[in-house]
Amino acid sequence: MVLLQLDPFLNELTSMFEQSTEKGTVWVTLKRSSLKSKVQRNKMATAGEPVEYRCLIRATNGKKTISTSVGAKDHQRFQASYTTILKAHMTALKKRERKDKKKAAGADKKEGSKKP
Amino acid sequence: MVYITSWDEFVERSAQLFRADPDSTRYVMKYRHCDGKLVLKVTDDKECLKFKTDQAQDAKKMEKLNNIFFTLMSRGPDADVSEVTGKEQTEAQSGKKGRGRKQ
Repeated sequence: MVLLQLDPFLNELTSMFEQSTEKGTVWVTLKRSSLKSKVQRNKMATAGEPVEYRCLIRATNGKKTISTSVGAKDHQRFQASYTTILKAHMTALKKRERKDKKKAAGADKKEGSKKP
Repeated sequence: MVYITSWDEFVERSAQLFRADPDSTRYVMKYRHCDGKLVLKVTDDKECLKFKTDQAQDAKKMEKLNNIFFTLMSRGPDADVSEVTGKEQTEAQSGKKGRGRKQ
């Protein structure tokens, strides 16, 4: 598993999406972690130091896994880039379908559908 | 495997799950371009919530959910998540306080 810095991670993630266009899946996992072992964490807690938590992000295409860890200060920047990447690649999803999509039960904008 | 049909319920329950156990809760997203499907899963290894869709509008909602999770995870489960731009206001809240391990 490759641990990368933020920007290389974003680049790799982009290329993963591009590679799995015809076939394949992209998984992205988000988890909070302090990246330290339990012992260290307990020590820090008893010493009164605040334990610093980071967000661990992992991405895989089934063959290769990459990961990165984002702290509170980088999280907004990462979030913006991440959102852009997702928006750019998730183009295969259907645009507002006709009413027979029961899944869209949550969507209330349905009736505005432009089917004549 | 519980598939939730309502987006709002999914968000609500995921946030609850995370707040209850921030150290073991994780959020997984799976996207298949060739099938045009997106599946989201939130689990704390005891309970599991899933949501699947093939709608572009749900992708937009998912982006908001991503923001929520990012905020909760990097700032701590007590961070104020107002679901939209209210998140940026959490910057006013001091960074390190409240980020200790839950007693």
